[in-house]
Amino acid sequence: MLLAKTLRSSTLKLALACIGIFGAVVFALFGYVYWSTVSHIRGRADHAVAAEYSVLQDAFDAAGRRGLVAAIEQRIAEQRLVGGYYLLAEPSFARVAGNLDVWPSGLDGPRGWEDVSVQERKAEAAARVLLRARFDTLPDGYHLLVGTDIGDVSQFAGKIEAALAGGILLLLVLAAVATAAVTRRTVGRIEAINATSRAIMHDGLGRRIPVRGTRDEWDQLAENLNLMLARIEALMGEVKQVTDNVAHDLRTPLARIRGRLEKALGKPEAPHDQALISDVIADLDAVLRIFSSLTRISQIEARDRTAAFRTVNLVEIASEVVELFDAAAEDKGSHLAVAGDGDVPVTGDRDLLFDALSNLVDNAITHGPKGTQIVVEVAQSDSGPVVTVADNGPGIPPHEVQNVLKRFYRLERSRSTPGNGLGLSLVAAIARLHGAVIEMVDNAPGLKIRLAFRRSPASRLQGASV
Amino acid sequence: MTGGRRRILVVEDDPETASQLVESLATSGYHADLAVNGGDALSRGRSTDYAVMTIDRMLPDIDGIDIIRHLRNDGIVTPALIISALGEIDDRVRGLRAGGDDYLVKPFAFAELLARVEALARRSATVVKETVLRVGDLELDLVSRTANRSGREIELLPREYRLLEYLVRNEGHVVSRAMLLQHVWDLHFDPTTNVIDVYVGRLRRKIDTQQRYPLIHTVRGVGYYVRASC
Repeated sequence: MLLAKTLRSSTLKLALACIGIFGAVVFALFGYVYWSTVSHIRGRADHAVAAEYSVLQDAFDAAGRRGLVAAIEQRIAEQRLVGGYYLLAEPSFARVAGNLDVWPSGLDGPRGWEDVSVQERKAEAAARVLLRARFDTLPDGYHLLVGTDIGDVSQFAGKIEAALAGGILLLLVLAAVATAAVTRRTVGRIEAINATSRAIMHDGLGRRIPVRGTRDEWDQLAENLNLMLARIEALMGEVKQVTDNVAHDLRTPLARIRGRLEKALGKPEAPHDQALISDVIADLDAVLRIFSSLTRISQIEARDRTAAFRTVNLVEIASEVVELFDAAAEDKGSHLAVAGDGDVPVTGDRDLLFDALSNLVDNAITHGPKGTQIVVEVAQSDSGPVVTVADNGPGIPPHEVQNVLKRFYRLERSRSTPGNGLGLSLVAAIARLHGAVIEMVDNAPGLKIRLAFRRSPASRLQGASV
Repeated sequence: MTGGRRRILVVEDDPETASQLVESLATSGYHADLAVNGGDALSRGRSTDYAVMTIDRMLPDIDGIDIIRHLRNDGIVTPALIISALGEIDDRVRGLRAGGDDYLVKPFAFAELLARVEALARRSATVVKETVLRVGDLELDLVSRTANRSGREIELLPREYRLLEYLVRNEGHVVSRAMLLQHVWDLHFDPTTNVIDVYVGRLRRKIDTQQRYPLIHTVRGVGYYVRASC
């Protein structure tokens, strides 16, 4: 879970990009050091060889081949050039003088500069030396080669290459460790914020993002978000308080009016007035019902989830709801049935679940035409218990699906049917309290409302042990 | 409403509500005593033998639930109707657990209050073990759980039988829709639809169709009662 998140993390991508750039810079730096060092050493070798060559050239010019041979012998004896190698060869490349036995192969043309590997004289077969050599063909057709051992240069280059490889390897290891640590930490902190956000969407605004007390930018972010949440919660609370107060304060005078009307209803003076009073009482009751629905919804929303929850059987509740509404469906000429048997337990409040299902069934009966088929189905799915109320009535247009859960929202065509637009809000509030997800899908034709509950802790335990 | 004027203790601190309560109880043939705080309620509850007491949850000095708890500890079993603006189920459960016998949420219809007070008063009066209940020519056999009128059996669903039994047990007294939902379905909320009316309507068709007189009567806006004559 966290690994997958870590791999998808933008921090990881950023870190990898940094490693790439840093690696390239280190590579370039080593490359420059390598190149400049090697060219410097070669420059010095070239310089020394060129000087030595011109001394020999001078000897040849002054005393001919004999002078040249003497000069070569002398310079070898005196070791005038450390690591220097000389070879004078006949036009057929046979050795005349010098400390090399054989004219090296691979020298193209009559003259030039070349890096060449040679066999050291009087040495074991394996001892080869890498030379930086200048060779030329003298006016008499003899060949002269002067070189200097640049084995230490290639050794140096090898060392630099090893250092470069080691450095890059070390860099990669350290960078990998650092990246893993930083990404884990970042992903961990972000995950804490994400988890809190999900918890807030699920449980309400009471949750806060944990602050670690490190006073870093993450803590600052968490503190700011927490302040924002506290502010939102306070505002929501105020709004709710106002709505609740309005509902409550209006209920008291309305209840008094109702009481007085009831008293008036008891006086049988004018029969016409009696009917009028009854109608007013009925209207008043409708208003009072709206208020009690409103306060009920906010009470459900404000409720502590765990209080008064027991294990209840959804199949039993669904059957009872269907049984209660059976007569109402019959009256309307609709057909109401329940599907699913056995035991589908959820942790919840029987009254509230009954109320929610009642609302859904009542909606299907009220808004469907004569002959509507309504099926309440209870099933145990992989993710948990699911209750479905499906009908083949008029359905809800797709763009209205989210709206119908809002308080007081009513579809245009439902304006003439009884109701106050609070039923589905109540269902939504009850679903939320039970951690259930409410889903509306097209039943083609009609509407299918699914209430998907989460697995109860007990069955989750069973699921885990299987 | 049998017997003389029965006494009821009303515990309510809001003067307007209190006077409406006392007045409407008086017109229904009760003598209502008013207690406006917890101390008053405790001393009256201990000294007088009331048929029923109605107790408001939110009093200035004490929670109504604690009054009931104190009285119950003193061995006073007077049925108590808890009245509260706190409507939630948790509060209801707490109230009933403390020894309350019924629970009513503000605002309420006085007819609803009366119906519940009547039911509690009857409960305190008699508990008789019977096997057959009779109203007019209707007989309910409590053992075989069957019903017949003039000897002709009426087919009822189990729930319809329970509904009829509850109505018959409260013969002559109005029971509200909420009381029906509470006692027949064991549900504690006010249905916002007419589903109970439709259900009673179907029961009524089974019971009263083609009979000499109807048994189930409607009180508009309140509920139903069963009586052998109109």
